[in-house]
Amino acid sequence: MGSDPLLAGHIGWVVVLIVVIKVIVAFIAMMVSVLLAIWIERKVISDMQNRIGPNRAGPFGLLQSLADGIKLFFKEDLIPERSDKFIFKLAPYLSVIPAFLTFTLVPVGGIVHIFGHTTELQVADPPIGILLLLAMSSISVYGVMLAGWSSGSKYPLIGSVRASAQMISYEAAMGLSIASVVLLTGSLSTRDMVTQQLGTFFGFIPHWNIIRLGVIPFLVFIIAITAEVNRPPFDLVEAEQELVGGFHTEYSSIRFALFYLAEYMNTITMSAIMVTMFFGGPDGPDPSFLHWLWPIVWFIVKTAVFFFIYVWFRAALPRLRYDQLMDLGWKVLIPVMLVWLLVVAAMRVSRPLGFAMVGLGIVGGLLLYRAIAVGRDRSTARELARPARAELEPPRERREDHGDS
Amino acid sequence: MAQYLPIVIMLVLGALFASGSFVASGLFAPRRPHRAKSAPYECGIVPRTELAERFPVRFYLVAMIFIIFDIEIIFLYPFAAAAGELGTFGVVEIATFALVVFIAFAYLVANGALSWGPKRGSSAPSGMGHIDLKELTALMVRGGHD
Amino acid sequence: MIATVISVPQLIVFIVSVVIIAIGGVGLLSARYPVHAALFLVMTLFGVAVLFIEEGAEFLAAVQVVVYAGAVVVLFLFVIMLLGVDREEITSFAGDTVRVALAGVGVALILAELFIVATGAWVTGAHAVAGKLSAGSNIGVLARSVFTTYLLPFELTAALLVIAVVGAVILSRRMSGVAQPRAHESREV
Repeated sequence: MGSDPLLAGHIGWVVVLIVVIKVIVAFIAMMVSVLLAIWIERKVISDMQNRIGPNRAGPFGLLQSLADGIKLFFKEDLIPERSDKFIFKLAPYLSVIPAFLTFTLVPVGGIVHIFGHTTELQVADPPIGILLLLAMSSISVYGVMLAGWSSGSKYPLIGSVRASAQMISYEAAMGLSIASVVLLTGSLSTRDMVTQQLGTFFGFIPHWNIIRLGVIPFLVFIIAITAEVNRPPFDLVEAEQELVGGFHTEYSSIRFALFYLAEYMNTITMSAIMVTMFFGGPDGPDPSFLHWLWPIVWFIVKTAVFFFIYVWFRAALPRLRYDQLMDLGWKVLIPVMLVWLLVVAAMRVSRPLGFAMVGLGIVGGLLLYRAIAVGRDRSTARELARPARAELEPPRERREDHGDS
Repeated sequence: MAQYLPIVIMLVLGALFASGSFVASGLFAPRRPHRAKSAPYECGIVPRTELAERFPVRFYLVAMIFIIFDIEIIFLYPFAAAAGELGTFGVVEIATFALVVFIAFAYLVANGALSWGPKRGSSAPSGMGHIDLKELTALMVRGGHD
Repeated sequence: MIATVISVPQLIVFIVSVVIIAIGGVGLLSARYPVHAALFLVMTLFGVAVLFIEEGAEFLAAVQVVVYAGAVVVLFLFVIMLLGVDREEITSFAGDTVRVALAGVGVALILAELFIVATGAWVTGAHAVAGKLSAGSNIGVLARSVFTTYLLPFELTAALLVIAVVGAVILSRRMSGVAQPRAHESREV
């Protein structure tokens, strides 16, 4: 089970110092990678859209995001007068702190020896393991929800209610997908997940979870976390055509910057978690020099690939409609993942049980298909008996008409 | 317990970073308050009405279903971690549990609890091209009084 | 008695989490707005989660945060928003003698119970009821007892969830039934 050998024994000052160094290094690495990620995203998107993108600040515009960040410190910090001041100030913390904490789980490299101590190259390896990710994504729902609610403004409120419903919906799919990895690992620890994936099948196919588990959990996970961090094409939270800026419309200056930071940090962390869970983490070919370095390099390369995929999503895919979003989450991802998980569990016990489970899954699928059809008919019938008011539309026209009449 | 030390330190560091940013912003940022700046942002339109929203009951249902699935998922974790020891018995057990919850889920879906979107497969004039503006306005105005 | 069982860092963690729980609890009761009350509830739940971790029951800590803070309180918040009570509802019991008296009786009962629990032989100071922890995590121990000894309660949980689903559907029907009188005959083509 998960435990860092560094913290297993007596905890002296040297150990605490090492821990503090690890935390600070991780913190700085996160900040730098967020700055780079924003730059990469802007550059790649502009390339895909036939533009140049940022090219003024620093070589190739590398310092653009830093410049933007510094600029935001000098901007007026507005607190709307109708807002709930306390919660308005609290919400950025609730967004940014979970983002930092989730990253502590990620195994960045192998095991190293420093100052006569042995430690894992990851900030923390607690027994709670991957459940911390679930807990933190539950907390970050509050950041979004309260930010919108406390603004005392229409669009942020609508954006945040949408967002929180979206985030909890996809959290379920995410949880199921993680459970399948836990099933294979037999442990909650991210370090165990990574060590389990070392080695190869037949000497050349990597022993990664994406191959051992099938591609479905990975697909469910990547879709679920894209929705979870509100990245396009699931960025209904800040659908600018309808909701101005979504839940952070009223935020300005550094408070806005923190939300932005949290979003990118979450994107990077989730890419890293994906690498950890399905792509062997820091696993990769190891040339016979600099043993400690190669795992880190492989880890960074893999994470960067997934970050690039996110950017690609943003450039290539149009935003989903809210009903499509909900249908995808509840009626596709969750049932498919549930059945897949049970089939994997059964297959690990015995083949006949596995096939029985496949049959059960098919029956369940048919049942659900029928249920969806029935549900659609019923809600159509109910909708006809109601005034034609789209429920998710901002009810502003109604209110304003009311004011006029 | 000691394994959580780095997480606590990260928590403290994150909180310090966030609050430090606020302090820095408080030092550097200008303060020129204006009534228009602190009004709710509505793209330049002067807000006239109070914000007292009610949300569709579906959001409540989504949260409710989420609780149910969350509980199921949270039961899946111990199972997943100990699946090797539990063997066939464990699989049958968890499958029974999942099946019961799944039937509840199907019931919810069959009740249209998760149908959000435009209505398909109906001959209803609820398509976008069919809205009678006059009727719609009348509905909205009347709807606003209760 | 307790001081012999737990070490200084544990004591610090215990005190911090108890303070969090207490502030959360008092805040929950004294908050003027429902949303603030819900947030204080989250704070209390979080403190309890820390206590669970301190006891070595990290899975229960995760449950505490994921299910209670992450799902149940979100449901509360949705309901608060759904009903639109966010800022208007300021509850005050001043002048309502019956309620104040009832609340007083309740508080007295709880205090009495606390007294009994604290002075009786119930508090053993032992860590984790599942027995001695083997290595790091007790999730395996928990799984073994839930899926073997407590099989029936576990399966009954599923039945409980079904009841909850049916209840939710019926409640939401009644809620949308309130909106029904607004339905206009002209819509029913």
